Amino acid sequence: MNDLMIQAQDITKTYGAGSSQVNAVQDVSLDIRRGEFVALVGASGSGKSTLMNVLGCLDRPTSGTLLLDGDDVAKMPDEDLARIRNRKIGFVFQMFNLLPRASAQENVELPLLYSDLAHPGQLARQALEAVGLGNRVHHHPNALSGGQQQRVAIARALVTDPEVIFADEPTGNLDARASYEIMALLQNLNTQGRTIVLVTHEADIAEHARRIVRIADGRITSDRIVEQPRSAEQGLKGLPPGGDQ
Amino acid sequence: MMIGIVIGIAALTLIVAVGLGARKRVMERVQKFGLENIMVFAGAGRELGQMGVGEPATTLKLEDAEAIKRDIRAVADVAPLAMRQVEVEYGGKTTNTGLFGVVPAQAAVWDWDVVKGEFVSDEDMSRSARVCLIGATPRTELFGATNPLGEKVQIAGNLFEVKGVMQTKGTSPAGTDMDNRINIPLTTFMRRVANVDYLYAIRLRLKSSASMTQAASAIQTLLRERHKLAAGVADDFTIRTPTEATNVAARVAGTFNILLVLVAAISLIVGGVVVANIMLISVNERRREIGLRKAVGARSRDIMLQFLLEASAVTLAGGVIGILLGITSAKLLSMVAKIPTTLSWASILIGVVFSVLIGIIAGVQPARRAARLQPIEALRS
Repeated sequence: MNDLMIQAQDITKTYGAGSSQVNAVQDVSLDIRRGEFVALVGASGSGKSTLMNVLGCLDRPTSGTLLLDGDDVAKMPDEDLARIRNRKIGFVFQMFNLLPRASAQENVELPLLYSDLAHPGQLARQALEAVGLGNRVHHHPNALSGGQQQRVAIARALVTDPEVIFADEPTGNLDARASYEIMALLQNLNTQGRTIVLVTHEADIAEHARRIVRIADGRITSDRIVEQPRSAEQGLKGLPPGGDQ
Repeated sequence: MMIGIVIGIAALTLIVAVGLGARKRVMERVQKFGLENIMVFAGAGRELGQMGVGEPATTLKLEDAEAIKRDIRAVADVAPLAMRQVEVEYGGKTTNTGLFGVVPAQAAVWDWDVVKGEFVSDEDMSRSARVCLIGATPRTELFGATNPLGEKVQIAGNLFEVKGVMQTKGTSPAGTDMDNRINIPLTTFMRRVANVDYLYAIRLRLKSSASMTQAASAIQTLLRERHKLAAGVADDFTIRTPTEATNVAARVAGTFNILLVLVAAISLIVGGVVVANIMLISVNERRREIGLRKAVGARSRDIMLQFLLEASAVTLAGGVIGILLGITSAKLLSMVAKIPTTLSWASILIGVVFSVLIGIIAGVQPARRAARLQPIEALRS
């Protein structure tokens, strides 16, 4: 078991060539330990999402080294990288990215399709129960609220029991109540020991994490521990009654 | 939507069925001429089935026919005949028809007897009787549906009693109407009507089709001798064997085959192109889904397999529906429009397999391209 979950060294990501070249991320070095809850914060266009995509193996860096739980993923062949994405990483997107014509359970089972884990149906139901949707297993996305859809997405991210959960603006499409519910869920998962990397442009969302890394113009500008992380549970209680279920 | 495949396969099935039906009908007509018979025509360069075409030749005689029957052992029977175009009149109506002078053996040698009444007899021959056998076409023209037996028609200034009605034979491979004729005794034709001593042709039946080539050769030698033709002088007659008829048939069939292959190829290409297009659109529309699947751990080959299976399922289902549609329309066509159709399962299966293959091949490229993208690029689509 590696204490260092993510070791990024001089990561650079550029798009385009010549005069139209954009350096989205430049010479970023970052270490994230097992069990941390890190928020990558920055304005729109700061490079935070680009960095997250590279760390989460959805994109390859133009240069630099990246170790995920000890594996060199920057230069790993695509086929082996697929296995990493399947077993070691769970990704949550701002737009949920659920399959519209599949039920909640079928959506959560999707990663299991590409793994050799047994009893996919059972694992999927357990994941849905862990996020509080045990009674919505057969619902299709269009029958679920935004907060519920994001919870299905989180269940999907959890179903293969990954080492790291990456969440890119997970509350970006949600109202206040649903946002707190999602953050509460993430904080819970972190308390249980999971490593969480979050991207957000909202300061108050970032304050729920335990470490905030600021990014501007593709570089890290600050990296600090949060003394007293906000509690999303408390935030929920503080809301006026009503909202979705 | 698999409608492209459905239409492509249905069209292929239907067109091939119609083509094969037409070919079968032509082959059947050719076979009506019989495979153990030889035709000897007066004059050079005669074609099978072209009765009444070209200049009349005068060197083929009744005695030649008798000599052939007598001297060539392979010959079972001979039926000499003479012919000319005449006008026939009855009850104020006239029609043009082929007048044939025939012998009693004609019915057997041509396998063409009367369907009503009686054929020309030996007695008719010896008396040069003025009797006639009317073919289906002039019968309908002059008599409609009424019974012509016993009635008298006027042919070339003579009154003939209708003694029988000929069986129908249909159209010859060359396209002429074989039922447009009237048969009278050969002696009557030569002495009373045309006043000639030469024949138009001799049809003979062999004892066995195995001796076809030798028989033809023997006949040629015999006739050249009888007609006193020196070496180097061309035949003044034409010998036609069924091998030639089958050669004609084979040529016709060959043409049909080329046509069918062309049509089939075009249908398949069209069907394949449509499927390819559908696959391309399908893959492009689902790039986001492909990106998502890759993000949760799908490998490139998982994506490829998924799309290949989907392409196979769609094209197969479309192919089956297309086949059913094609068969149904072929049957409808033959029942309602009386167009003959013959179903060819081989062509149908080839068509389906081909379309499926094209669909798969067409789907592979775009699927592979999408599968090779970084997940985030595909997710951004």
